[in-house]
Amino acid sequence: MTKQEQVKAIFIEEAGEIIEKLDIDIIRFEENSGDFNLLNEIFRGVHTLKGNANAFGFTRLGEFVHHFEDVLDHYRSTKEGIEGDHLELFVGSVDVIKEVMVCELDAIEFLPESYGECLQNIKNLIAMKKGYSPVEELKQSIEISSNDLASEFGFGCDEEFESSVKNCVKHFQEMQEEGLYLYKIDLMLEEDCYKRGFDHLLFLKALGEKAKAIESFFDMKDVWVLDGFTSDVNAIKRVSIVVLTPLPSDDVHEIFEFLFENEYKIQIIETMKKSVEPLYPQDTSHGEKKTLVEKSAPSAETTSSSLVSSKSTIRIDTFKLDELFDSVGELVIAQNFIAQNEKIGEIEDESISRTIETLSKITKRIQDRVMSLRMVAIKDTFEKMKRVVRDTSKKTGKEVHLIIQGEDTEIDKTMIDSLSDPLIHIIRNAIDHGLEADANERALAGKSSNGSVTLKAFHKSGSIVISVSDDGRGINKERVFQKAIERGIINGDENLSDSQIFSLIMQPGFSTAEAISDLSGRGVGLDVVKTSIENLRGKIEIDSKEGTGTTFSMILPLTLAIIDGMLVQASGEIYIIPTLSVVESFRPEEEIVHTVQGKGEFVNLRGQNIPIIRLSDIFELSSQRIEPWEGILVCVETEAGRIAIMVDELVGRQQVVIKTLGKSLARLKEISGGAILGNGDIALILNVDELRPLDESVHV
Amino acid sequence: MEFNGDVLTIDSSMSMEEIMEFENFIRPRLEYIEMIEVVEEGALKCSALLSLLSSLKRTKSDLAIPFLDKRAVSSPEYGTIHWICHD
Repeated sequence: MTKQEQVKAIFIEEAGEIIEKLDIDIIRFEENSGDFNLLNEIFRGVHTLKGNANAFGFTRLGEFVHHFEDVLDHYRSTKEGIEGDHLELFVGSVDVIKEVMVCELDAIEFLPESYGECLQNIKNLIAMKKGYSPVEELKQSIEISSNDLASEFGFGCDEEFESSVKNCVKHFQEMQEEGLYLYKIDLMLEEDCYKRGFDHLLFLKALGEKAKAIESFFDMKDVWVLDGFTSDVNAIKRVSIVVLTPLPSDDVHEIFEFLFENEYKIQIIETMKKSVEPLYPQDTSHGEKKTLVEKSAPSAETTSSSLVSSKSTIRIDTFKLDELFDSVGELVIAQNFIAQNEKIGEIEDESISRTIETLSKITKRIQDRVMSLRMVAIKDTFEKMKRVVRDTSKKTGKEVHLIIQGEDTEIDKTMIDSLSDPLIHIIRNAIDHGLEADANERALAGKSSNGSVTLKAFHKSGSIVISVSDDGRGINKERVFQKAIERGIINGDENLSDSQIFSLIMQPGFSTAEAISDLSGRGVGLDVVKTSIENLRGKIEIDSKEGTGTTFSMILPLTLAIIDGMLVQASGEIYIIPTLSVVESFRPEEEIVHTVQGKGEFVNLRGQNIPIIRLSDIFELSSQRIEPWEGILVCVETEAGRIAIMVDELVGRQQVVIKTLGKSLARLKEISGGAILGNGDIALILNVDELRPLDESVHV
Repeated sequence: MEFNGDVLTIDSSMSMEEIMEFENFIRPRLEYIEMIEVVEEGALKCSALLSLLSSLKRTKSDLAIPFLDKRAVSSPEYGTIHWICHD
C-alpha cells in the first residue's frame, strides 16, 4: 500500500466514524434541539468530513457537506431556534451523506435520488436565513465561479481574497531560487484557538524566522458586529500564508503539528518552469481549473493531515490486536502447561511453586488486559437504534418510547460490528408487529397511548445478554403453532415448550404478519437474525406473554476468541462442547432409553424424545460399544432442536482459546475449531448444530 | 490605551488580556468614540486585535480607524499581513 493509499484508508475509516457519530448525534439533537454544544459537535464533524472529502477528491460528498455545514454554522452562530421541518432536513441530510459516501467509495456515477432534492432544500434554507432568494443564491454561486465548496481550501468564492493570494504566489514564484520552497498554507483555526494557546501570528512568527519572503492574508468576512463578538473567540476563519523558505516540508509541517488536522492545509507550490499536473485527477472534473499546482512536498504528506496527533489514544490495526491476542493465548497455554506438568509438580521447592503461582497471576492479568482492549461499550450501537426507532415510528405512525438500559456494558468489538443488523430487525419487528396497531387498541388493552421498546444489555453467567422488549400485544402461541403446521415446519404432534413454539417464528419462511410491510414481515428476517447471532456463537431466546409484550434475548459469549467449554471424553479423546449450548448432563436410567427402527436411539427426558448422538459413531472412533445408561448424556440445544450427546465421562469446564483448524480438518462440519489444553493436548470443539442433519425435524 | 476627547489611542502590540480590557472598555462607549488610533511601536501580538477592530468598524461604520484602512501592516517578524474586510 502506498503512502497515499494508506492516508486514504485512514480517511475512509475516519469518515466512517464521523458519519456514524453524526447519525447518532443528529437524533440526539432532534430530541433536544436547544443543545447548541451538540450542534457545535455536529458542525465540527461535518467540517472535518468536508476537509477530508475534498482533499481526497470526493467532490460530490464535499459539496453536499459544504452546504450542510453552512446551515449548521448559521444556527450555531445565531443560536436561533430550529423549526421541526428543518430538523427533519438535518436528519435527512445525514442519510444523504451516508449514501453519497458509499457512492464515492464505490465510484458509483449516479448519486442517490435524495441528493439533489436535499441539497436544494439546504440551499433554500440557507438562502432564506441569509435573506436572499434561492435564485439569487444560485446566481451568486454561478458568479462566484463554480467551485464554491473549495472556498475554505484555497480556491473559491472571494475574488479579492483569492486574487490577492494568487498574485502573491506569482510574485514569489518569480523570486524563487534553488534551495527555496514556496508554500501556500491555509489556516482555519477553530474558535477556541486562543484558549488553546494558538494565534495566527504565532505561526507567522515561526515561519518568518527562516523565510526569505512571507505574506499573509486575513479573511475578515466572518467577523461579526460587536453584539455577536468576543475577542477571545477566534473570528478569523481563514488566513492564507504564502511563504518562500529554505525549510523542507517536514519542518513546515512540524510548526503546525499541534493543531487539529482540519485547522491547516499545507501546499507546496511548483516553480513556474515545472509541468502542471493535478495532484488528484478527480479534482479536474470539478469544473474549475486550478492555477496553483498542489504537489507533494519532499518527504511529507500532501494534505494537512498530520497523522500523529497529540491525543491520548492511538489507532491500532485490529489485525495487530488479533495477533497480540493469539500470542497471549499461547502464553496462557504455556502457563497452563507449566502449572499442570506432573514432573514440575513433583518438585518440592517452595520458591518454584511461588514462581509458578506468580507467573499464573501475571498471565491472567495480561490476558484480562489484552481482552479488555477488544471490549467496547455497546452504547454507540444502542444510540444508533434511536434512529431506527424514530424512523420506524414515523413509518408505522405509532408513537414509541425507547428505553435504553445497560449501555455501558462492554462487548467484543467484532461482535458489535455484527450486532447492528439483527438489532435493527428485531426493533423494527417489535414496533411493526409487536406493538398494537394504534392508540385505540392500546387503550382497549388498558395501556398508555405510547408504546415502549426497551433495549437492554447485561452480563449473565459469563455471557452477555442483549434484549429487546416491547409492551405490545405479545405472541399468539396457538396461531404460531398452527402457522408452523400450515407451513410444514412441524407435524403438529410434537410436544413443544412455549419457548420452542416462539422459536418457530425464526424458522425460514415463517411469517404471521397479515400484510408484508417494507419494515418487516417478509418472513425471512428473523431467520437471518437467528443465523447472524449463531454465527457469533450466541443464541436467541423469545419470551412472550399475550397482551403484555415480547422479549427477544440475544445471549452472546463475552468474546469470539475464547469459548467457555465443557470438556468431555469419548473413546479416549477429549472434545469441547460450548457451554452456551449445554442444557443439562445426566446418566439416564435404562427405562428411558429406547430405539426406534430406522431412526436410532432416543432418550425420553421429561416426556420429550431426544435423539442420542454417539461421538464414537460420528468420528468413527474404535472403541468398545457401551450402552447409553453406562455413559453420560449431554443434552444440548441445536438449531434443529435438542440432542443428547453420548460421552464416556465429563472432564470439566474451562475457558479455551479457539484455534482455527488446518484445511483438512476444516472440512469436518461437525468441528468448529480446536483448542490446546493445559497439558498440551489438542481438543476439538464440537459444532453441535451439525451433529444432526438439519432436515430431521421430527424431534424439533 | 488613552482616551482623549473622541479619540481612543491603543497600542498595536496589545496582549489578549489587554484586548479583552479594551473590548470591555469600548463596548458601552462606542457611540461616543469617533476615532481609534493604533500606535505601531511594536509588532502585532495577537490577531484578535484585528478582529476586534473589524468588528467595531462593522458595528459603527463611521468610526475612523486609519490603521484598519491601511489594509496591511509589515514587520520583520511576520512579513506583510493583509486583511480583507469585505466592506
